Amino acid sequence: MKKIHIVGIIVIAVAIGVILTSLKNTSTYADFNEALANPDQEYHVVGKLNKNEPTVYDPKVNADEFTFTLVDNKGVEKRVVLHKSKPQDFERSEQIVVIGKMHGEEFHANDILMKCPSKYNDAKPQS
Amino acid sequence: MKEIEYIGEHLWLGKLGNFFLILSFVASLIALVGFYLSTKNKEYLKFARNAFYTHAFAVTGIIGTMFFMLVNHYYEYQYAWQHSNNEMPMRYILSCFWEGQEGSFLLWTFWNIVLGIILQRSLKNDWEAPVMAVFSLAQVFLASMILGIYIGDHKIGSSPFLLLREHPDYFNLPFVQGYISDPNYLAKITPRGLNPLLMNYWMTIHPPTLFLGFASTLPPFAFAMAGLWRRKHNEWQQIALPWTYFGILILGVGILMGGAWAYEALSFGGFWAWDPVENSSLVPWLVLVGAGHVMIVNKHKGGSLFTTHLLAIGSFLLVLYSTFLTRSGILGEASVHAFTDLGMQGQLVIYVLAFVLLCVALLIENSLLRVSYIMGSCLLMFFGMMYGYKTILFYTWVLSSIGLTAYSYNKYFPKEKDEEELYSREFWMFLGSFVLLLSALVITYFTSVPVLNKLFSIKKAPLKVEDYNLWAVPFAIVILILIAAAQFLKFKKNNAKEFYKKLAVSFIISIAFGITCSIPLYFQKNLSAASGIHKWEIISYSILFTVGIFAVLANADYWLRVLKGKISKSGASIAHIGFALIIIGALVSTSKKAILSKNTAAKQVESLGEGFSGQENIFLEQGDTLPMGPYLVTYEGKEVKGIDFYFKVNYFTKNPNGKPEFAFQLQPKIQDNPRMGRAADPDTKHFLNRDIYTHITAADMRTVIDSTNKNKYNTPENYIRHLGDTIFASNAIIVIDSIVSNLSQAEYEKNDSLLEVTAVLKVYNSNGEIFKARPRYIIKKNTVIPETDKIEALGLKFSFWRINPEEGSIEISMAEKVNNSKDFIVMKAVMFPYINVLWIGCITMAFGTFIAMIERVRKLKISKANHDS
Repeated sequence: MKKIHIVGIIVIAVAIGVILTSLKNTSTYADFNEALANPDQEYHVVGKLNKNEPTVYDPKVNADEFTFTLVDNKGVEKRVVLHKSKPQDFERSEQIVVIGKMHGEEFHANDILMKCPSKYNDAKPQS
Repeated sequence: MKEIEYIGEHLWLGKLGNFFLILSFVASLIALVGFYLSTKNKEYLKFARNAFYTHAFAVTGIIGTMFFMLVNHYYEYQYAWQHSNNEMPMRYILSCFWEGQEGSFLLWTFWNIVLGIILQRSLKNDWEAPVMAVFSLAQVFLASMILGIYIGDHKIGSSPFLLLREHPDYFNLPFVQGYISDPNYLAKITPRGLNPLLMNYWMTIHPPTLFLGFASTLPPFAFAMAGLWRRKHNEWQQIALPWTYFGILILGVGILMGGAWAYEALSFGGFWAWDPVENSSLVPWLVLVGAGHVMIVNKHKGGSLFTTHLLAIGSFLLVLYSTFLTRSGILGEASVHAFTDLGMQGQLVIYVLAFVLLCVALLIENSLLRVSYIMGSCLLMFFGMMYGYKTILFYTWVLSSIGLTAYSYNKYFPKEKDEEELYSREFWMFLGSFVLLLSALVITYFTSVPVLNKLFSIKKAPLKVEDYNLWAVPFAIVILILIAAAQFLKFKKNNAKEFYKKLAVSFIISIAFGITCSIPLYFQKNLSAASGIHKWEIISYSILFTVGIFAVLANADYWLRVLKGKISKSGASIAHIGFALIIIGALVSTSKKAILSKNTAAKQVESLGEGFSGQENIFLEQGDTLPMGPYLVTYEGKEVKGIDFYFKVNYFTKNPNGKPEFAFQLQPKIQDNPRMGRAADPDTKHFLNRDIYTHITAADMRTVIDSTNKNKYNTPENYIRHLGDTIFASNAIIVIDSIVSNLSQAEYEKNDSLLEVTAVLKVYNSNGEIFKARPRYIIKKNTVIPETDKIEALGLKFSFWRINPEEGSIEISMAEKVNNSKDFIVMKAVMFPYINVLWIGCITMAFGTFIAMIERVRKLKISKANHDS
């Protein structure tokens, strides 16, 4: 067996492993209805904050729970329970991605990503 | 329509800037043509050089003009308006310069010029023309990125000299529209200024280093391309070697600086988050390291020609690809700190594809085939633009490019005749470079999920940090074993027995050391159970730890025993020790990182599974003390300096008597920037063997407690209670301890004069201190006169105003002072053990690479001198 064959085998093994990893990563972008259909499945839901609904953060009771209402890109509204502290400048966010799954009528998120006009991004100013 | 004459604009600056922009683009184009022609006829060389220097002059001109604009606050220009303001200290002017896309492209262009001029001056031979032609081509593309002209509807580049009132993103906005008809609008606009997160010294040193690193992948690439072009696959490698090591050094330092910045000043809670932006600078570095190693193999033994070309070219192409990823907006939601889309996605794609096309075309030796490949590619692109089917056409192109590369490799590329020895340094170095390339490809594949989403119309979410870590561990294990062993082998043939004998010492010591350290680190029940990691993960971590130690010891051993501690030859050993220390430091500080601020209030939603038990933040009121890990932590209060809020968090340790003893104070910060919003800046206490990282996630941001309301009470609330019942206030618990009357029931009925009933309230504050309040219920001639009682220290007021004899209950109303809600913070504290090993490793690796680079330059000079004489 030539050494080039060993190299070839390693490449194939790694390739299979990589594909398996990316298949195992079942998390996809979705909307609330898809998440509702598969409550065991983790999803990334992209949406906007509904500013008319209250946001609840009472650190005295639990510093790692924050509740708000998100409207997904299809216009479906759900209460989101984030199991983290309230992010800085939450109200200023333009777009929110919550990562988690549906639990009853609530979406429970273990992580959140926000696009703010101010940070990292030089998007348009609000005035 | 009459044009409005705006007051105070400096339009000459934009004109001058645009002149330099166009000059820089045209001159680089002429330099490209000139150097191309000089590959055939040397007479053009002088002309081409002049064009390149003109280009360099023009770029300097652009930079100078931009600085003039920023320093003098010409806010009529969008770039100055967006990235600077008057309040900003002058020392951040550099940060403003490269905060935006245009400025950072310029920074890159600038470094390319510096390297290009040094390279051109050091090359007075046949390599100058082709190498500089490739350089000029890169400059043509970079210059076009900031050109900012329109051809039809297509925008080419984005200029830093656009007026705010003409900028496509802004001129429609109401505030700009409102001013636009006002000739004196300039006096009224407020500039946005620099992002507060970027106002620190890291922003001053990190981008120039990183971009110099990106620029330094260009010389090896240019040499490799020139090698293909001239069909001299061997000669360039020795000249390119010092450049490659320079690139490894600078890019490596740049990446690690980014990690240090993330750890020190940003709230990522770690130094590496596998963010696409981080990955896309790591990947070219890995490939460049591979290139450097194969080039050494080539120097000592010859051969490995295809691999050296592949890696040297690949590193630069991956820089381009990462530029595309981070600047085209394709990452979208996947990254928190990619640049914004400037509408240059198409241009960036073409930029990347053109270079790939050029590489493949140069590889093809048959000129007919080459021309048809180029023509075919152009046709495919034209078809894609005109008729769609872009994805299918793109695949066709990619597959045919790969096919042609394989064909040319087989047909034209010189190959080694005999198989490499298993016990030879070249085989192991080759294998190491190959593993580096493979790991780079894996990271690229994972990072490219958003691109794959677009190509295949799927909606996959980006990979998680755990998935990256899962892959990083086995790759690191293999690399570290190779690092440990390869140096003990000589080039060409070796005696296997002798090799194992030499390695044995460090191997045995590291196994012993690895086991003794791994057991307390990973196998002690109380520790490993808490962190919730799997058994096989623990095993792989201890293997990684052990091979890390092995790599450190073996390289130290090789340096001291074989090289006899000679500094000039120590580069490789020291750099390898540094790399191994980085991996050990990263492994231990990440896998053993401990959240000190455990939130016990967080409830676990069992059915949701792992990861939904946010227990990382703790609520602390001013004056409260809470245990956190080995510490007791109190929040002393905040100090406000302008827009910066410093929160004083005191850490106490328990001394042997169990009494708290002050240890240290941390002052994590939140900046409340009126224009940019809030930005948190953590504070870290550094110890020799661990770091305590403290970050404010939320806080009471009131600066003044309203003094007019100072003594006001909220509206009282009524509580119906029995003896022994409790009432909850926001800062205390109240127990109705006893009810005392001055008269007995009989006496009261007999003597209808005065009844006094006192409720004795025991009040416990959050520290467990006890206060007493005695509000009285007084009946005088059938009139009830309640007598209130206050506890000033707690801001509580009680009045006892009713007795319900039938139910045996009393009614007490309680009012709290308006300002009773105390100043508070929500904080997160994390302990990173042995993170200093990581930083020591960084410095060691940089130092070792530097020595290696100097040594390569010295050897090149010697061989040149020999050659000349």
